[in-house]
Amino acid sequence: MTKAWRYTGLTLGYLLKTAILIVFVFPFLWMLSTSLQTYRETLSYPPTLVPAMPQWINFAEAMSAGPFLTYFKNSAIVTLSIIAIQLLVMIPAAYAFAKYKFPGKNILFSLVLLAFMIPGQVTFIPVYLMMADWGIAKTLLPQIIPFMSNAFGIFLLRQYFMQIPEEIVEAARLDNAGEFKIMRKIMVPMSMPALATIALFSFVSHWNDYFWPLIMTDAEAIRPLTLGIAMLRETEGISNWHIIMAGNVVLVIPILLVYLFCSKQIVKAFVYSGIK
Amino acid sequence: MASIAFKRVSKAFDKHEVIKDLDLTIEDGKFTVLVGPSGCGKTTLLRMIAGLDPQTSGSVLIGGKDVSRIAPGKRGVAMVFQNYAIYPTMSVRENIEFGLVNNKVRKAEREELVEGISKAVGLYEYLERKPSTLSGGQRQRVALARAMVKKPSVFLMDEPLSNLDAKLRVQMRIELIELHKKLGATFVYVTHDQVEAMSMADTIVLMNKGVIQQEAPPDEMYRRPSNRFTAQFIGTPPMNVGELGESGSLFGFRPESAVLSEAQGDEPFSVRGVIATREMLGSETIYQVRSGSGNYMVKCSEDLFAAGQEVYVGVPAAKLHFFGEDERRIDEKESSYGKCMEALRGRSHG
Repeated sequence: MTKAWRYTGLTLGYLLKTAILIVFVFPFLWMLSTSLQTYRETLSYPPTLVPAMPQWINFAEAMSAGPFLTYFKNSAIVTLSIIAIQLLVMIPAAYAFAKYKFPGKNILFSLVLLAFMIPGQVTFIPVYLMMADWGIAKTLLPQIIPFMSNAFGIFLLRQYFMQIPEEIVEAARLDNAGEFKIMRKIMVPMSMPALATIALFSFVSHWNDYFWPLIMTDAEAIRPLTLGIAMLRETEGISNWHIIMAGNVVLVIPILLVYLFCSKQIVKAFVYSGIK
Repeated sequence: MASIAFKRVSKAFDKHEVIKDLDLTIEDGKFTVLVGPSGCGKTTLLRMIAGLDPQTSGSVLIGGKDVSRIAPGKRGVAMVFQNYAIYPTMSVRENIEFGLVNNKVRKAEREELVEGISKAVGLYEYLERKPSTLSGGQRQRVALARAMVKKPSVFLMDEPLSNLDAKLRVQMRIELIELHKKLGATFVYVTHDQVEAMSMADTIVLMNKGVIQQEAPPDEMYRRPSNRFTAQFIGTPPMNVGELGESGSLFGFRPESAVLSEAQGDEPFSVRGVIATREMLGSETIYQVRSGSGNYMVKCSEDLFAAGQEVYVGVPAAKLHFFGEDERRIDEKESSYGKCMEALRGRSHG
């Protein structure tokens, strides 16, 4: 291959990567840009990407359109509780499935996989009725309880635990470590990449969850951020895109922050499972 | 310190019986090596002592106490695994300390113990390092230190040297012998390598297919193998074994017991053959002699013959072993011993 060919190849590669990057980054930039424009600017033709004068006031307006502090607090409590409870359930379950022999193990694991395949839409009415029955509809609990267990997480973590050599667990047992200590001191530190991945997926899906809270909540006090932002649209009968986008930026920031902290671990998790 | 006893122990994995009604006593303070081909049940025995795979029936006693219902961590045993099984996310210090922390040893005492042990095995400078930054030999030492620091009455080792290169293995062998002398604990060592068994053991327990073939000190196992399997498992090259005619009995001799000469001698075993291969190993030479009655390996300290040369293989009476139809050793005192000797002499000298 000649030098010219190689450069052509490289250039083509970069062009394609740039194209893909634009496809992914553009909507994000568009959101950022719109969130800083005036109402008039959002309607102007041709559209402008760089706002003439950044309208930081949009954020203040979005946040004052409703009890956003409450929404934010609700979202944070719900999402963090879900992740914490999921980890508490998932780690021992995955450990048992990966490292124990017990009767009925395969059937139980199949049930977990089955749970993972049932679409949420099938269960939401019964779950709604159940939660209403329990009389907890006015609390944040209905947004947390249905998601306490994460079948996909159990599956992924079990696969990861299975890669950890049996001897390490046995060595710990000979070192007089109890099963919970083995999980805490050995399995969990060795599975950080997988745990970070699962936690991030869980965070993104529950932070952004719209459908379930929409069904389950009927009061301002328990609504999450996603509902609050969706409601921005309906104020005054016209679409205040600049305000909605300002709200969306606020919604997205925590996800970006979490991703910044987790990205290294996540890449590791996928690299590991690729090699093994 | 503690002796270990197996009493009518059986072990099955999913209905497949690996060990059946086994009785064995491992003496207190001795270096016992369990050796045998892969799948013979030696590791299974070791794991039963540790409590990692408890026996299906029978009982295991450590220091006279039945430990069948005692958890691995409370049996007073420590184990070194083939792949070391070091905790990769902990530093060397944390690795060594883990058992002590779990046993609720006070911090000051812990530090003293860890530092003492790490100095003894040459890891003191590496205490804060992660295991991934250490060499194979150093990781092996971490595994040893982790076992030693708990001051166990029983040390279990499952092929701990097989991941090391040849040179390091020889060095570690000597270190383990010294360690055993220093600690005076009961060592149970599993290997498939008969050289390791011979060089380190006070007692060798040779197993095959879940059955103990012989239990003896190395020299006895070598000089007086109790059956054909033992005779051919211990020693390189293995003992030459041939059939002794219609009776179904067998005769055998070690490669180094034979003498090669150009003229026939008057030894009870003497056959003519041709040297098929010659391996010059420096201090000794191994010949393969092809004869009418079979091939024989002969080990000589001198390199006097060349491939293709015609020679006589002679074995003196004292160096011959006989095995019955059932492949068990026929002792000198038994009446059939003389008959076997006569039969062999008759065959050799017609």
